[in-house]
Amino acid sequence: MSLDLDRRGLLGAGLAGAASIGLGTGASAASPAPLAPGRSMADFAGAMKAFRGVVGAEWVFGDEEAVAPYDKAYIPDPAHRYKPVGAVCPQSLEEVQAIVRIANQYRQPLWTVSTGKNMGYGMTSPATPGQVVLDLKRMNRILEVDAELGTCLLEPGVTYQQLKDYLDENRIPLWIDVPTVGPIASPVGNTLDRGVGYTPYGEHFMFQCGMEVVLPSGEVMRTGMGSIKGSTAWQAFKWGYGPYLDGLFTQSNFGIVTKMGLWLMPRPPVYKPFMVRHGEMADVPRIIEAMRPLRVSNLVANCNLMMSASYQLAMFKRRNEIVPDGAPLDDASVKKAAKANGLGMWNTYFALYGTDETIAGVEPIIRASLSASGGEVLTAAEMGDNPWFHHHQTLMQGGLNLDEIGLLRWRGSGGGLAWFAPVAAARGVEAERQTALARQIVESHGFDYTAAYAIGWRDLHHIIALLFDKADAAEHARADACYKDLVVRFGAQGWASYRTGVNSMDLVARQYGEVNRRFNATLKHAIDPNGILSPGKSGII
Amino acid sequence: MTRSMLIMLAAALPLPAMPALAQQGGAPAVATPVHQALGQVLPKRSPEQVYAKVCGYCHGRNVGPIILGRGLPAEAVHYIVRHGQNAMPAFRPTEITPAELDALSPWVSQSPARKEEHGQ
Ligand SMILES: Cc1cc2nc3c(=O)[nH]c(=O)nc-3n(C[C@H](O)[C@H](O)[C@H](O)COP(=O)(O)OP(=O)(O)OC[C@H]3O[C@@H](n4cnc5c(N)ncnc54)[C@H](O)[C@@H]3O)c2cc1C
Repeated sequence: MSLDLDRRGLLGAGLAGAASIGLGTGASAASPAPLAPGRSMADFAGAMKAFRGVVGAEWVFGDEEAVAPYDKAYIPDPAHRYKPVGAVCPQSLEEVQAIVRIANQYRQPLWTVSTGKNMGYGMTSPATPGQVVLDLKRMNRILEVDAELGTCLLEPGVTYQQLKDYLDENRIPLWIDVPTVGPIASPVGNTLDRGVGYTPYGEHFMFQCGMEVVLPSGEVMRTGMGSIKGSTAWQAFKWGYGPYLDGLFTQSNFGIVTKMGLWLMPRPPVYKPFMVRHGEMADVPRIIEAMRPLRVSNLVANCNLMMSASYQLAMFKRRNEIVPDGAPLDDASVKKAAKANGLGMWNTYFALYGTDETIAGVEPIIRASLSASGGEVLTAAEMGDNPWFHHHQTLMQGGLNLDEIGLLRWRGSGGGLAWFAPVAAARGVEAERQTALARQIVESHGFDYTAAYAIGWRDLHHIIALLFDKADAAEHARADACYKDLVVRFGAQGWASYRTGVNSMDLVARQYGEVNRRFNATLKHAIDPNGILSPGKSGII
Repeated sequence: MTRSMLIMLAAALPLPAMPALAQQGGAPAVATPVHQALGQVLPKRSPEQVYAKVCGYCHGRNVGPIILGRGLPAEAVHYIVRHGQNAMPAFRPTEITPAELDALSPWVSQSPARKEEHGQ
């Protein structure tokens, strides 16, 4: 049996019973928080005590009440398996290094987060039992902003809100690019999970430049030009020399990123947002076929959101305003509600960035091809203060809001959301097939197709929000089954997720194949022989 | 107040039925800016600032229920911030520090309603 299997075989075999010796690990008779595989209470207690020596007792959390904020997640987890056993919160690079040394000594796994708002993917919940969350939110220094080069260097705990406030207050004419939940999430955390936003800098990892990483050994490595003494190009030149390393630290568990460089877009003189309204569910392929050439040629430079009416309605409405409880969400009812709110069955948002002259030059070309697809091309002039238009107008210029959290109230008392986000090439027929398959699966489990397509440069991220009422145990269990069904049945068609939650990391990793999995495991075992960094992230143990 | 009382109280908070007004997005009601210097960690924020930079994006803006001007017990506010509540995520002591939350909870409890808020 390979080392890989040995490690994997230990998954979930952690000891319960932390409460029995009064350590307050979050364990209780009803739901004990298991320790990591093979770890004893003495190991755990020793590690926690040593962590306190590094960051102070007030920044180490071990009892059930203190760990509670780390245990709230939206994803389906009926067996409550994804439960942290504690948390430790350093404020400096040196503290991170000291924590890593202790973790090695006691073989205590650490689940690293930056701002920990990975909502719909597991928040701060670890993928395997017995992990202590390494919460980097207190490391929130904005280290550099270069207004001329349009770059910045950040610590992991800096939120989009902090960065935007800094730029605004200092009148630096650079934009940020946000996921839809900017105020409470972070450029570093989001980029490390390869998240997306909606300005021309929306594919976040493409605009990342240079990292500082604490390796599992406790050593500090800088990527790109960062390890050259005296270099001024750490945030200017991405590739450095030799193998490109930065990718290894995204969606992985090979290191702890303690600094990250990012490129920031200069504020354009003119920004003009658009919405294209299509009337039918069946318009999917037409929209994609019309958008693709505009995206591939970069005439439309931002990542477009093509939003289904049901997703849009779920942001600001409750399901029982559209159809009675228990009734299926039929197209006719959705269409009626959409129309009453100025929406179509698909609503595609894009923007033009430039000067009056450049926009006047390209707008007619874009209008012509989108109109030919059967869409109505609308701007602020027609949409006015329509709340949905306003939301996307805000997003496509890197503005902040949390409007989409409203999705979480769609059904019952809500609180349940899992993102299923399969990738496809940007072709109409693929999207048409994906939409049909997704609808069939979610509806067969009694859920709604509340989805959007993020149209990238050449790809589609099909963003399906599986919304459920987490307070309803039966519905919670159905959501869990539905999610797995989605992953498996999409996988059978050659469609796999670009990113996934802790509830499905292993499942998705298997779809990417055994060779890839073994390669990741080989790297992991070489650099992290004690398996202390985020075991289970992306299925890597 | 016991934990179960807090949960009951929290559960009794009505959720907004539907957006009252077509007014979403943009910055929440103005609070003094939080000055963060280059190379320094975020300084301690006042309750107004925490409300403007975190809570106020949802509460009073059609996403979460209105919480100002309702005399919610400070203990309930404290509990819900740390545990989350249905659609609301939990906020950790690293996000809203213990000192900030100690000031925020009574402030939310005692603050008057704001005219510009809507949703419930
Ligand atoms: C309504 C709604 C809308 C959303 N819209 C979007 C969207 O438009 N685009 C989008 O991308 N996401 C979106 N999300 C998902 C998610 O909330 C965001 O991606 C968010 O930015 C991730 O949380 P975070 O920034 O706090 O990162 P974190 O939770 O801190 O990090 C994410 C993951 O990256 C890894 N990681 C983090 N920090 C480090 C580190 N320092 N070293 C090593 N590994 C690390 C960890 O595996 C961690 O779990 C949405 C969620 C909701 C609920």
